[in-house]
Amino acid sequence: MNFDANTIIYLLEIIIGGLLVGVGVHFVPVGGAPAAMAQATGIGTGTVQLAAGSGLTGLLSAGLMMHAMSLSPTFAQDGYSIWPILLTGAVGAMIMMDATMLTGSWIYAYAVGAPFASAKVNYDPITMFSQPPYVAPGTVGQGIPTICFVSGTIGAAMGGIGGAMIYFPLVLINHNPAMSAVFAIGIFFVDAVLASWNIQGTIEGFHDPKFKKWPKAFKACLVSTAILALVAVLITPLVGGV
Amino acid sequence: MAETVKGFKLEPKQLRIYGLVGSVVGIYLAYILNSVTGTNIFSFVGALAALFGVVMGANAVRRVCAYGIGTGVPSIGMLSLGMGVVAVLFGLSIAEQLGIGLLGVIIALVYSLIFGYVVGLIANRVMGFNIPVMEEGLTDLSGAGTLAILGWSFAISGSLGYADIVHSVINTGFLAIIFICGGLAILHPFNANLGPDEKQDRTLVNGVMVGGMSTIATGICALMTLGLAAGMVQIVVGFAVWYYFFVWYFRLAKRDASAVVGTGLLPPTVQ
Repeated sequence: MNFDANTIIYLLEIIIGGLLVGVGVHFVPVGGAPAAMAQATGIGTGTVQLAAGSGLTGLLSAGLMMHAMSLSPTFAQDGYSIWPILLTGAVGAMIMMDATMLTGSWIYAYAVGAPFASAKVNYDPITMFSQPPYVAPGTVGQGIPTICFVSGTIGAAMGGIGGAMIYFPLVLINHNPAMSAVFAIGIFFVDAVLASWNIQGTIEGFHDPKFKKWPKAFKACLVSTAILALVAVLITPLVGGV
Repeated sequence: MAETVKGFKLEPKQLRIYGLVGSVVGIYLAYILNSVTGTNIFSFVGALAALFGVVMGANAVRRVCAYGIGTGVPSIGMLSLGMGVVAVLFGLSIAEQLGIGLLGVIIALVYSLIFGYVVGLIANRVMGFNIPVMEEGLTDLSGAGTLAILGWSFAISGSLGYADIVHSVINTGFLAIIFICGGLAILHPFNANLGPDEKQDRTLVNGVMVGGMSTIATGICALMTLGLAAGMVQIVVGFAVWYYFFVWYFRLAKRDASAVVGTGLLPPTVQ
């Protein structure tokens, strides 16, 4: 193991990736069990499941992009370029999250029959539709209103970029995509769980008052990812290749 | 309820010692048995060693989650395995680099315990959870996740070498199975038994039961990596563990139920 300038760059990339995941979770409209019963706004599952889903799709698409790059005839001179990888990771995660929200919305609209409404704001900041008349008594909103959908897409993009940003340096360090993915998932889970503890399980998106708590998750993820990143850069490739 | 069922009540400290010592000794015992006999038949001992760690983790989950963490019990199990997987890869890799391959287990465990304590500190100080057992609980959980992954990885690879585990557990993707099955064994017991009448013995017996099912799953993986004999032994042992603890759990559930009544057969359909 030799510590040089590159190692420090890898370290910073992993830490920034972890921070993006931690903050990105705050954008995703997580409703938890109440949302599954259409009694709260958001997607009806937990933060960890959503974060894991978008993070894994992000890793998968980032890995695909890396593979596509290595097929290029000029790969020997060019090497990997980080931007397309991050972008592909973001797009993969966004597609996963949007597909989840869209199909979830169909069920809320056509099967449960609930109007989409947010209980945290009086007017949807994007469509300017009034919300309180549509919130059923005894619930805290239903379905996934426009603002939550947009917020969730932003959150997924941040999660995907974060996942790709953890995965990419790890592949460069240990040359083993499987191990890098496993390691990235480990870091991903730690940050996603810390962030979901910060929002106490449910949030509607960036318009939710709970969103203001993100600096706490930022600090927590900074410390924990730094400890994990220090360890991650110490892992060396296997002797004799993968 | 005339029938008396064997129950138990263990202090967290006792359980921690059983979990850490039992698991580490078990993993090394499995390694020694495998290398002395020159076979990989004894890999199932690694899976049994993981069960000690699982019991320690399940107890930590019930202590921390009894306070209510707001996100549901599964999140803490995933956190435990997330910390564990990083610690295992680091421990095995660094031990290989330093030329002390066998001490990888200890390095992974020490790193995970420290990291778990730090995450507990963060949760209490930065997030403001104010759960008194948070640091202790996350230290236990992180160690439990590490031991579970190490034990079941040994059960699949039959070796403690970094290269062997990377080849047969990580590159094949079997780690995902360990991740989810191990996570279930740690998080599911409290998730299934929580409530005002939650009892320690019922929860922990449920944990071992799920651990037995996870051993069946790793046994199926071992069929591919270690061959028919080692895999079948593991499946049979896993099934035995599952069956014994399922019966025990069933009796504990009957003990704690207010009444057990038979509903009889379904009434005949009225035309």
